[in-house]
Amino acid sequence: MITLTALREFSVPIQAPCITPENFKDKTLAEIKKLPATEGNRNVTLADLFKIEQSPQETPNITLNGDLSKVKRVGQAMKTGEIVINGNIGMHTGEKMAGGKITINGNAGCWTGSEMKKGTIEIHGDGGDYLASPYRGNDLGMKGGLITVDGNVGTDVGCHLKGGIIKIKGSAGRFIGYHMTDGAIYVEKDCDVRTGACMSGGKIVVGGTLEILPSFTIDSIKPKVKVDDTTNVAGPFYVFLGDRSEHGTGKIFANKTANPALQFYEKYL
Amino acid sequence: MSKTINNVVCPICGCLCDDLEVTVENNEIVKMKNGCAVCEAKMVHGYKSEERILKPMIRKDGKLVSVSMDEAVKKAAQILTDAKYPLLFGWSSTVGEAQRIGVELAEELGATLDNCCSVCHGPSVMATQEIGIPAATLGQIRHRADLIVYWACNPWASHPRHVERYTAFTDGRFEGSEWQSYVKKLKADSNRKKMEMASKRISRVEPPTKAASFTGPPPQMLEHKPGRKMIVVDVRKTMTAEVADYFLQIEPNRDYDVIEALRCLVTDQELDVEKVGGIPLDTLREVADAMMSCEFGVIYFGLGMTQSLGRFRNIEIAIALARDLNRKTKFVISPMRGHFNVTGANNVFAWQTGYPFALDFSQGYPQFNPGENTAVDLLRRNDNDATLIISADPAAHFPSVIMQNMMKHPLITINPDMNAISRLGDVVFPTQWCGIEYAGTAYRMDAVPITLKKVVEPPPGILTDEELLVRILEEVRAIKAKRGEPVGQAEPKIAPHKPTKATKTSRECPIQEKPKRVTKKTKKVA
Repeated sequence: MITLTALREFSVPIQAPCITPENFKDKTLAEIKKLPATEGNRNVTLADLFKIEQSPQETPNITLNGDLSKVKRVGQAMKTGEIVINGNIGMHTGEKMAGGKITINGNAGCWTGSEMKKGTIEIHGDGGDYLASPYRGNDLGMKGGLITVDGNVGTDVGCHLKGGIIKIKGSAGRFIGYHMTDGAIYVEKDCDVRTGACMSGGKIVVGGTLEILPSFTIDSIKPKVKVDDTTNVAGPFYVFLGDRSEHGTGKIFANKTANPALQFYEKYL
Repeated sequence: MSKTINNVVCPICGCLCDDLEVTVENNEIVKMKNGCAVCEAKMVHGYKSEERILKPMIRKDGKLVSVSMDEAVKKAAQILTDAKYPLLFGWSSTVGEAQRIGVELAEELGATLDNCCSVCHGPSVMATQEIGIPAATLGQIRHRADLIVYWACNPWASHPRHVERYTAFTDGRFEGSEWQSYVKKLKADSNRKKMEMASKRISRVEPPTKAASFTGPPPQMLEHKPGRKMIVVDVRKTMTAEVADYFLQIEPNRDYDVIEALRCLVTDQELDVEKVGGIPLDTLREVADAMMSCEFGVIYFGLGMTQSLGRFRNIEIAIALARDLNRKTKFVISPMRGHFNVTGANNVFAWQTGYPFALDFSQGYPQFNPGENTAVDLLRRNDNDATLIISADPAAHFPSVIMQNMMKHPLITINPDMNAISRLGDVVFPTQWCGIEYAGTAYRMDAVPITLKKVVEPPPGILTDEELLVRILEEVRAIKAKRGEPVGQAEPKIAPHKPTKATKTSRECPIQEKPKRVTKKTKKVA
């Protein structure tokens, strides 16, 4: 196991896409210390930024300690292995990830798990904005894998979702599941406005309050819903179909008891 | 001695009106014709301000002290090269030539480069990247549009000649002006008021007050009105709304929902709700009908949409509405860009780097990501360690937390006037007023490039934005060369295009001269 501890509080953003299990594999400690990163516009090595130690323990492959909220692109495009981050981490963590596991014992930055294909990200704090959403202008979002968040998440989570599962124990910001075509999002608490806007497939399950866009129509009331193989949520739930402005057939499951404001939809059933 | 200069371009808003007549006496603008009030405020009075900076200044012991240009340039270059993550912000009120040097400077420094559009119409640019945009030039709107929708903008105050020059009140080739009918409406209104006053005086009875209606007159009238139609959608009744044929007052932050509902109605779908954004569904249906039954419609949207809840998603859905409407009729959509060359900043940056704003050169190549590299987000996270502000005044407009973070690090400003940000600067450069004291290229809100004119001579010793940036860039390269770092090659300067009568460029259409008719006279001469 390689342990990286921040040498100081970073003042400018650091881009370190080299911190992945594949990159560190079969490298000596001296070689790892020389791996390139950037601190602002300066080219530096990992040894300039972190205290790097090796221990015989096998898993996790990499552990990061300290306040890393300005360190970007950790675990980018990783395929195997495990990274544990003890502290807050910056943007683009686990971007284009194709396997393995990242555990964040702190808050995650924006664009965490962006365009990921496989693997697991566990966030034991808050997730930022654009969690699992693709890069600007790209309509290929997360394709597979699992993201779990213990805290709240920001806006635009799971945009262009094409597969995979996102589970959020706290609340979510607006535009969750924007333009999603498949996959599932489960929010245990409330959602801000415009849930599932422009969605054309997949499902969003909301345990708390939410607002339904006018372009959704009610389909039925269901007693429970299955998020994935391990999670069944008891309702009852209003099931909304949409987004009809995109001719979509996505489903929003809104908890009936938490949303008395949606009762008027029952007359259309 | 006075002289009059015609066809001067106004360097204020995105309309770039190019029909001003400016009278100059003793190197001073004394009179102006055709311009709006905003234009006159700057062109006749504003640029002569007593707050004009005439010498470069450096902050020494907390006070700004006048220094030579060489010293100020050296100090600025030193600050920028020492910084690990400098930010270059502004650019929307200067000319394209200076913006081009700005990109070169940012690349040389490995800096972040952002322009004012990140706090105005940046969301429109992002939405365009997501979904594309069906747009048209202002000329096409002027001649053809028969339905004009102003959504969340107030051109009567922000772009005073937009309605008069390009939309409802202009005489196009195929569509007439609605000015006459507006004047008639005004007269009728004032007559009605007079009658009401008179009846009040005679009968001494209070006339029944109108119930506060959320929307204007019934939209069915739109179908029967001949000529151009103008609809305004806003959260409050602005001056533009007074002029419009129909005003739709929606609840704040509900633009997205209303447009979603309109999209469903345009695609012939029924809705489960009775009201959207405070508007009854029947009213929305009438508005959708008016949109579908026009021959050439246009939506102009403003900051009410880009900077309210939803931001670039609002624009995305509005563009999607225009796309849906194009299945039934011709419809275009266009942003009401604010500063006169903010479109130019996007165009020049995109031409140079591939991206319109929010650029990060720290990796040696441009990275684009609004939210990560935009000035406000960057400063909120306190990421940068030096700032250069050119032709902008964030101190007057940015949130206080962001300004506090900016002030933790050295600040260089380039502005003609001693505005709020110049007062805070560590190195303060003077510059000329572009479009008044020097010429250059600016892009109109529909991305049509127009050349600004020079009208008066600048005060002595003051450089243009372009000249100043070139000097800073040269100094940065000299410092980097001294340190032994790789330095970019200076690009050959592009000479301004001057068409001459004698030479024909290959682009010109070869006009064949008519063969001379052989007459008796010419025969005799031969």
